[in-house]
Amino acid sequence: MAQCVIKPDLEFVRELQESGGDSLKKCYQCATCSVACPLAPANAPYPRKEMVWASWGLKDKLMGDADLWLCHNCGNCSDLCPRGAKPADMMSAARNVIYRDLVEPKSIGTLMSKPSGLPVLFAIPALLWLVIWAIRASIVGAWFPRTFDGRIVFGQIFYGDYTIDPIFMLTFFGALFIIGRGVVKLWGMFKPEGTLTVIGQKRCWLLHLWDVLWDEVITHKKFSDCEEGPNTGKTHYNRQFGHLLLVYSFCILAFVTAIVAGGHWIGKIWPVVSIETPMPLTFPVKLLANLGALMLLAGLAILTVRRWLQNNKNHGSSWHDWYLLGIIWAVALTGVLSQCFRLADCVVPAFMVYYLHLVFVWMLFAYLPWTKLGHFVYRTAALVYVRMYGRG
Amino acid sequence: MSNAILVVGGGFSGLTAAIEAAELGHDVYIVEKTPWLGGRVAQLNKYFPKLCPPSCGLEIQFQRIRKNPRIKFFTQAEVIGFSGVKGDYNVRIRINPRHTAPHNVEFNLLASGLQGEVENEFDFGMSKRKALYKAMPFAFPNRYVLDTDALSKADAARVAGNKFLNVEEKPREVEFSVGAVVVATGWKPYDVTNLTNLGAGTVKNCVTNMQLERLASPFGPTGGRIVRPTDGRAPNHVAFVQCAGSRDQNHLNYCSYICCMATLKHCLYIAEQSPETQITVYYIDLRAPGRYVKVLEKVQALPNVHFIKGKVANAEQAPGDKVRITAEDAVRGEKLTLDYDLVVLATGMQPSLAGESAPLPLPLDEDGFIAGGEEAGIFAAGCARMPLDVMRSAQSGTAAALKAVQTVKGR
Repeated sequence: MAQCVIKPDLEFVRELQESGGDSLKKCYQCATCSVACPLAPANAPYPRKEMVWASWGLKDKLMGDADLWLCHNCGNCSDLCPRGAKPADMMSAARNVIYRDLVEPKSIGTLMSKPSGLPVLFAIPALLWLVIWAIRASIVGAWFPRTFDGRIVFGQIFYGDYTIDPIFMLTFFGALFIIGRGVVKLWGMFKPEGTLTVIGQKRCWLLHLWDVLWDEVITHKKFSDCEEGPNTGKTHYNRQFGHLLLVYSFCILAFVTAIVAGGHWIGKIWPVVSIETPMPLTFPVKLLANLGALMLLAGLAILTVRRWLQNNKNHGSSWHDWYLLGIIWAVALTGVLSQCFRLADCVVPAFMVYYLHLVFVWMLFAYLPWTKLGHFVYRTAALVYVRMYGRG
Repeated sequence: MSNAILVVGGGFSGLTAAIEAAELGHDVYIVEKTPWLGGRVAQLNKYFPKLCPPSCGLEIQFQRIRKNPRIKFFTQAEVIGFSGVKGDYNVRIRINPRHTAPHNVEFNLLASGLQGEVENEFDFGMSKRKALYKAMPFAFPNRYVLDTDALSKADAARVAGNKFLNVEEKPREVEFSVGAVVVATGWKPYDVTNLTNLGAGTVKNCVTNMQLERLASPFGPTGGRIVRPTDGRAPNHVAFVQCAGSRDQNHLNYCSYICCMATLKHCLYIAEQSPETQITVYYIDLRAPGRYVKVLEKVQALPNVHFIKGKVANAEQAPGDKVRITAEDAVRGEKLTLDYDLVVLATGMQPSLAGESAPLPLPLDEDGFIAGGEEAGIFAAGCARMPLDVMRSAQSGTAAALKAVQTVKGR
């Protein structure tokens, strides 16, 4: 028998336990979990192997494991686990460690990994937007200005051309750059030792990407596949609808934002397409935006109630889980409320809530590579990778 | 004050405790819930350590009871009242009617002519029995029981005139005093309907290990041929599912101790009947305590018995009344989904008292095993205390008898 030396990384085990995998040491390797998972492939199924890697502190193996991203966290494995070792929570904890450590600067990941880091993360955009507010207030001559015809226009303080657009473009492309580096690093970690021989025809990665987007985003069918495991005798809420609402609403809101930004900038050259904010409530783009907002709130409510009601004995919720729900709630509520206050003509709360909205939106985008929201990039990248390697 | 001893449960450990105490000069009352003594051992085909048939060991015990006037036993009886203090307990029991004459009457002819049939609990539902029945040929007491609920109208007319049968017999209550108690209430097979992912008892040809014992028993539903319940054909591929409900916090949160050995024994049964049958045992860890490792080695040496490390976590019906099971071979890291002609769930032991309200003041642990009570002169024996094999049940019966005797000695 081949000999190998195992060097347990005890610090890593502790990190996993703190990130949500607190029961991982209870595992006795019965392999129920691998059967419980309807998504786990027949060849080298998960999460039993991940549980032993976690238990032994094999950090490189676990961090470079693409199967972490095949898991959609339905929790069947935790429901059937005879020991209460909660494999689903361990898989999620391992992903949390990746959010924390994958990309530089790691200090943001560390702050993001625990509630005590939140004040600092909040203070950065809060200060940024406050300074802008102060500068603009001194130019406009009022902290809560109205237009000459008495309307509330947020652009008077947070003027698009000089404040919102450049800052958010910088933030967005910065986050995109960082998360792109994360993807490259993640793929590097996935790469198996030795060389890989591919028999048969290779498929273009773009086609794989399309398949992933079809399964995961457009149809959300993986969540339903999750339900096809063995009968656990426990009630489950299919997350397909709630998550789908949320993702579709994000797409709608992103589309609306692009239209408005495009209309504004292109409109400077070609005035026909010019869109100026605030848009009238009956304007199609505005209608679509408000539809997106309602879908966002509905999806959030469904997912939050599900997480709230789930059996804590078998399924834990980590800080990453609550932070993601919390930040989206904050963005959605401040967004809707600032519109409401503006329409209700309450100038002080309108500007204050809009300010908070900018703070939360900035947090959502800027910290994306270190939060659970990053999963939409990391998971997509991992799933494209496994498909290119003929798995998943 | 009384120096008599009450033994609750007439299985192997209860019988042993009763005989040991009686042979030391104490009056003993055995209270047994079922119509016959012998308990779970009587249902087995063969039992450890020597793999003899149950009649073998039980026969000696029954002889010793028959010859010892100090032992009084009540079948179809249960304790309904218990009061007093250590050394002086008053016990009230209810004896349900047997409806048959007190001596050994051979009802075979009458019984076979009856129409009414119900599920035979002794064979775990794999056969039917008549209203007038005896579960096993070596039954002790060697008397039939009339189950009046199972009589058809015509049956009722047929038995009405029989002078050895009394359908009017009513339950009786008896009271007596004892100084100490041995509780040997034993175990029940874990209820498979709880095992949702293993089919919850609805998958055809997916039987429990105790059902397999009945199939293998010469007095069982098939006369000892190990066949598929649906078509009576000998299986070509058999799988054993170890830890079906044991070592599982959702079911029995402990190792039932006997199921690995039971499965190894079943491999020997099958290999003896049809050496060509392919057997696969799916396990988490194989536990062969002490000298039983010899049995493990013997079974491992059989050419057609294979062991796979990995728990079966899904069982479904497959075409041809086969059973489709899924497990991960944890050594090779491969998920296997295979169809078997017969699948045996190695279900564990649950203490009979689990979920029951016992009339005795007994401290039970969270699993239903007796934990304590000795200060009150109440001693647990056998599987009521912990999962045990027959040999160790007998030892624990002797130990409990010794403690009970010391409690009442000199009164």
